[in-house]
Formats: sequence, C-alpha cells, structure tokens
Amino acid sequence: MVLITGLSGCGKSTLALALCGLIPSRVHGELRGRVTFAGRPLSGLRPHEASQLVGMVFQNPNLQLINQTVQSEVAFGPENLALPQPEIATRVNWCLAVTGMDGMRTASTVTLSGGQKQRTAIAATLAMRPRILVLDEPLSDLDPVGAQEVLGTLRRLARDEGTGVVIIEHRVDEVAPWADRVVLMDEGRIVLDLPPRQAWADQARWAGIGVGIPDMVQLAHALPDAFTGSLPLSVDEAVAEVSEGWLVPALAQAASARAAARILHAGNGAVSGQSPAGPAGSPASRSDSGRAGYSPVPPVLSWEGVSVDFDANRAVDDVTLAIGEGEWVAMIGANGSGKSTLTGLTVGLGTPSAGRVCFRGNPIKPGKVFEHAAQVALLLQAADEMLFEETVIGELSFGSRFRALPPDPVLDVQGAIDFFGFRGLEKTSPWELSQGGRQRLALAALLVGAPGVLVLDEPTTGQDAERMRAFLRLLQAVRARTGLTVLTVTHDIRGLASKAARIVLLGEGRVQLDGPASEVFARTSELARWGVLAPPVARLQCELLGPAATDVLLSVSELAAAALSYHGVPAGAAGSRPARTAGSIPASTAGTP
Amino acid sequence: MMSSLFARTVIAYLIVFAVPMILPVAFIKFVGLGGLRDLVTYEARDTPLHKLDPRLKVLYPIAMGVLSIILSWDFMLIVFALSILPWFWLRPSRSKVRVLLVMVIGPALTGFWSQGLYYLPNPPIHFIYQFPWTISWLGSPGITAYGMVFGLQQSARVLVTVSTSMLILVSTDVGDFTWAFERFRMPPQVGFALTAALRFLPDMISRTTLVLRAIELRGYDLSRPRWFQVNKWWNYIRRVGRCVVLITVPLLVGSLRGTTTMAMVADARGFGANKRRGSLREHPLTAVDVGGYVVLVVLVGTAIVLNHFHIGARAY
Repeated sequence: MVLITGLSGCGKSTLALALCGLIPSRVHGELRGRVTFAGRPLSGLRPHEASQLVGMVFQNPNLQLINQTVQSEVAFGPENLALPQPEIATRVNWCLAVTGMDGMRTASTVTLSGGQKQRTAIAATLAMRPRILVLDEPLSDLDPVGAQEVLGTLRRLARDEGTGVVIIEHRVDEVAPWADRVVLMDEGRIVLDLPPRQAWADQARWAGIGVGIPDMVQLAHALPDAFTGSLPLSVDEAVAEVSEGWLVPALAQAASARAAARILHAGNGAVSGQSPAGPAGSPASRSDSGRAGYSPVPPVLSWEGVSVDFDANRAVDDVTLAIGEGEWVAMIGANGSGKSTLTGLTVGLGTPSAGRVCFRGNPIKPGKVFEHAAQVALLLQAADEMLFEETVIGELSFGSRFRALPPDPVLDVQGAIDFFGFRGLEKTSPWELSQGGRQRLALAALLVGAPGVLVLDEPTTGQDAERMRAFLRLLQAVRARTGLTVLTVTHDIRGLASKAARIVLLGEGRVQLDGPASEVFARTSELARWGVLAPPVARLQCELLGPAATDVLLSVSELAAAALSYHGVPAGAAGSRPARTAGSIPASTAGTP
Repeated sequence: MMSSLFARTVIAYLIVFAVPMILPVAFIKFVGLGGLRDLVTYEARDTPLHKLDPRLKVLYPIAMGVLSIILSWDFMLIVFALSILPWFWLRPSRSKVRVLLVMVIGPALTGFWSQGLYYLPNPPIHFIYQFPWTISWLGSPGITAYGMVFGLQQSARVLVTVSTSMLILVSTDVGDFTWAFERFRMPPQVGFALTAALRFLPDMISRTTLVLRAIELRGYDLSRPRWFQVNKWWNYIRRVGRCVVLITVPLLVGSLRGTTTMAMVADARGFGANKRRGSLREHPLTAVDVGGYVVLVVLVGTAIVLNHFHIGARAY
C-alpha cells in the first residue's frame, strides 16, 4: 500500500490520472516519459484496457456512480467487457463481499451513506479486476466511521487479495499505520519515496514543504527520550512503546496538576458553570443529566426541545442547546447524526416538528432564509456554489445590492478586501482564484453582511495541512476582529474540532456530550460509541492514563511541553531538545494538522 | 347583482385564471424541486411487477399508448382503468404517490380546463358560463361542457402513456432497461443515455436546490409574497427571473465537472469497448411473463381488428 501526499495542486491527482492511462487519452495534456505496468506502456492502451491493470477511484463518489443500484453499478464494467453471465456474477459477488457491501446489493445508490458510496465505487472499480487500485482522496468526505470502513476494505484487499493500493490522501494519520511506502510530492515532483518510518524520520523536510505528518510521529520527534524504539505510526504503537517509560508518570503528574488548578480556579469563582468560553466541569451527557447542554446567558443561538422528522425518520430528537455570545463551538458526530439539519434550522432551512430555534431570543421562522441570513451567516461545504458574480468586488458587494446593511458594519467591502487579502484582485473572476481563495471569498462575502453568528459546514474538507492552518488562522483573526460567535460542523476532529473551545457531540439526533474540548475528547469510549474518534494525542493520553484522563491536552506541542515539564525540563523547551534527526518540532507543524 | 357586468367580469376572470394559479401553488406545495427529484427514481421492492420480464415492461407503455390513440372514448375508459390498476399492485411510497398525483392531475386539469375554454363545438353553443365582453377579447367566449368533456378525453389519452411509463420507471432498475434494449437489438448507447438521464436528473435537481439555498444565504430575497400581496408579486417575479441568470454559472460549472468525471469513469469501465454487452441479469421467461405478452398482443390485436371494422374506432 502506497500513500501519496503533498500540498493541494502539487500534481498528485494528475499523477494518478497518468498512472491509470487517462492522460493524454481522456485528460488533455502532454505526457513525456512512459507509464508502464510490468513493462507494458499504459498510455498506449485504451482506457478500458488500462483499467484492467490499474483501476482508479475518483474523489467524489457521487460523480462516479452511474447506475441506480449497487449491484448494477458493480456489474457495469464486466457487462461492458461482454463477459459471460456466470463470470459477471462471480465478479460482482466477490467485489461486494470484499468491500462489505454484500447486504446492500439491491439498495439504491442515492440512499447510501458517504462511506457506502465510496465502497461501492471501489467495488465497481475492482470488478474490472485491476492489479493496482489508485484512490484519489477516498476519505475526504467521510466521517471517522466511514473512513475506517473504507480503510478496512483497502487493507483486506492489499493483505488478502494481493491488490496493490495507491492512496492519495491528506489525512495521513489514518493511513499511516497501513502504508508500506510514503511518496511526498512538491510542485509536480516526487521529492521523497521511502518506507513510512524512514520517510517521516526527517520531519524538517515535511515542514519545509508545509505537509502534515502523523501526530504520533511528531510526538516521537518531540520526545526522543520517551520514544527510544522505532517511530510509532499509530496510537497503539505509541502506547506499546512508552507504556513502561517515564512518559506515563509525567503525564499523570501533568494531569493531576491541571485538575488541581481547575479546582482552585473554580473555587476562586472565576468560572461559575456558565462561561463565554464554555461550560465548566465535566461535559454534560445524557447519561449524566438526562438532557444535555448548558445555558449561557444570554444565548445568541438556542434550540429549545427541537425535533425534526423526515417522513418516518426522526433526524433530530428533542435537542435543547444554547450557544453564548462569542463562543466557538464545534458540532461533531457521525454521518446522519443530525448536525447539518440542526444547523440549517438557524437560518430557517427546514421546519422543526417540535420545539423552536431562536436567535437572541427571537424565534427563527422556517423558510425565511433571506431574513435570517442577515443574522446567521452559513458557509456551505460547497463554497463554490455560493459564488454568483463575475468579479471579486461584485461578490463582496452582492449582499448590499439586495438588502440594506447595518450603518456600522464590522466589516465593510473595502475592509473585507484588505482583511482577506483581495487588494489588487477586485476585478478578478472568482473562478480564477484557487479553491482556498474561493472559500475565503465566500466567507468574506458572508461577513460583509454583518451577521451575529458564523456557521461553517465542513469548512476544511479535502484541504491539505497548509490550507487548513491558513483557514484556522483566518478564522481566529476573524474572531479576534469581530468577536463573532462561531459554530462549526465538522468531521475534522484532529484539525478543526480540537481547536474549538466547546464540543457538542450528536448521536442519533440527540446531544450526547457537550463540554470543553479537552474534557469531551477524554471520553473516548463514548465518542467511539457515537462513531467519532478522538484526536490521536487525546487517545494516547486516555490509553496511558486510563480513567485518570478526564481532561486531555489536544496538541502535540502542549503534550510534549507538559510531559517535559514533569520530567525535569521546563515547559516550552520541547522545541529545543534534540530530536531524532532534525531536532525539534517546527512551529509550522507542531500541534497543527 | 350577480348578473351585473362587474360581477360577471369578476367571475369570468376567476374561471379563466383559477387553474393557472392553482397549478403552480399545488406544484410548490406538494411537489417542489425535491419531489421532482424523486419522481423518476426506482423503488427497489419485491413485487411481482418488479420481477416481470423487462422487455414486457418496455412494450407495455408503447402498447397502451397505441390503444389510447386508436380507440374511441368509451373503450378508452377501459384502457385508462387498465393503466391505473397496476399501481395498486405496486403500492409505491406515500411521498411518491403525492408527487405522482399532482403531476398527473395537474396536466389533466389543464387539458380539461383549457379545452373547456377554447374548444368550441359547432353552433348553437351551450355555454356553462358565457363571458362578458370585458374578458371575451382574450379569445374565449365562455366555458362549455362539450369542451370540458373533450379536454377530459384528450387528457385521459395522454395520461395512459404517462401513467404506464411512470409505473415502469418506478418498478424497473435502469440496468434492466438496458438489458431489454439490447435484446431488442438497440445500440448500448441508448441504454446508457437512459441510465445517465435517470441517474443525473435527481443530481441536477439536488444541485439546483443547493444553489438556490446558497443564493438566499448570500442575502438574495426569494421569499414568496402571500397571495393577496398583489403589489409584491411583480417584484418577486423579477427577482426569480434575475436569480435564474445568477445561478446559471455555478450550475454550469458543477455540471461540467460532473460530466467530465462521469465520462472518464464510463471509459475506464470499458463502456463502448464492445459492440455487444454481457449482463448480470438473467430473465428466464415465466408463466406470468407469457401471460403478460398474450394479454398485450390480444389487446392490441383486437383493437386493431375492431378498428378496421370501425368498432370502437376513434372519430377523426
């Protein structure tokens, strides 16, 4: 299994298309050199001939499912090859079994979850019996459970069936344990091609390009005295390596000190259980209190006993939740847990079957999206779909042409141009900007409307580490300037959710956990029950400390500093200790995606 | 009072504009873009109708269409009933029934109403309601029972084909259509075109819904005025018209991206690699299929023979 990674636009997908023989036959371009499979040049083959050697699974499963049912989709390729019916049936049965889709063979493709769609796309590609399978960002739209389903399938294929698997992916933490080789690309070139441990031994090289590396690898580099063996690629490997060493007592001491400080802090009355930064104490869960949530006064957004039904299905079930002024809340949960439904209600998308949603105490009227968009800015995951004008300036002034803006907006059009870095690009077409630039433009255009709350639906999906860092910096700058309340819906636990002050976990349409990120992510078994994996750093602390881990640190740099400070080294010196090869955590990668 | 010119004008305008106003409202209320998305989607179930020979299913709407064209109105009623009965056998989901009813009743109502207004028999004409000069300049002197019955007949003829086609679309996996077309010696491209259309129509509607949602989130007012806010309707229509222009670019960009990927996927899966295709499906002819074929042949054959002898033939 080969992992190909690199910044967006570095040529990964183009390489994948060339590997599959689709360049130049189907994608316009000039191909120099040769792509061969066992000595056969692929670029000279017709696409269906090449696809029987190297199969490709594209990024968006919605665009590659052509048929209406799962088995029709899988059979499509063998049928085109005019194979006899028994051979087609054998292939379909095998593909469905190996991808775990056997029980859904007659299901309609439009009703599948993201993970199921991706597995169906893999099965359909496998039905061509390729010797190598190339997957372009197969995890980008998946929740942690869906990602594990797909990775499990790929692992089985590589291990049991001997299929070569090439994965192009930004989510290196999840793929790292299974990769045999890691290929790093930069500006169209392969700059590194080594087994994983050797590939990540020189982290300065990765930092120089701006590509993220697995958290456990970062931690091992930061704490070379604790990780004396080989580089750990997963939490399990890290636990096995340090469970007998000095790291466990050091982390235990650090955890005790944090707990003591919290009690002292609470005793002084600094936190009374209702704080703009988040609730104090343990995260509320349904098992603790029957109804989750806490009530900041005054709440800027509130859901009061809200339920939403779609025909016979209850998507949201009696949710009571409040978000205070200036808070940064991340809403997490598996696909179908009700996150998007719940946030959509804040702008009038959808109608609650019970309860009500309020903005600053005023009920939000279902269907009145235009009215509520002035109060709550919702940035859709597909930010491209939110751009309608021919120029950047046109986009930024779009809202003011169709509605009256407040006389003293936090961010006017000229302010937004400067703040978001569009000076000199005012007359540029939005479609000439990079993907990150278009997302920034959509966000800027929403903020010019001077909303009270910013709701972000999966804003970092499919973004590389550099872009994700840039987006987080931008978000923090926006909050610092405007004091906006921010609600993010995300599957990106490691990158985005762990940076929020407060986490709300949804499961089966209900709030299952609600509290500070450091405490919610300590409850790994409850998170796992609702289909969410805590960040690797949090899982490591929970594995090492057991029930004592009630409040976990969420970044590698924090964890390393805390451990070192209780190992006789002052906090903050983590970066100065000699590491394996390069010697320190570069500021650009430590504690960031 | 009711015979005054003013009252007659008001009543006449209500009659003329009632249906054009009711239909869009019914469409938005009961169907909407979401309902349209579900209209042609296959519903996987284990009913005898689902198991029928796909070739028979392709022939069924064609045969019923032929019958609806050549038979007189009295016989047409029997054909119409025959086209409705299988729906009770199929038992589609409630949401689909709601959408289908609006999509079927809407055009029927339109035909019934428009023919009532504009289809005029030879004089002397007996009007159900005769319009005053204040509205008759629009082209219709009044509404007639003769025209309404004629409209009902024409609508029923169209509905036979629509109803049977919908029935088959809802109960047949598109792969079975492709199989049937190939057995009829049609090129694979025909099946693929149908597959692509049925698969991507719902996607296109979903994308349109998303873009409309996005434009409202950007502060564009698409909220509908209440029916009595007459002064706001013109502005609303202008806003909707402008919106169509605005959403074209994102829709076009999204669609082009989608079709490029789809073309590559079809190529990679060997579409067009061979003149003939294989099939996962095996559809051995069952007794029910044979019965179905016999019924269709007998129905069409009988109708043609009777037609030849001017029995039950449609008057032209």
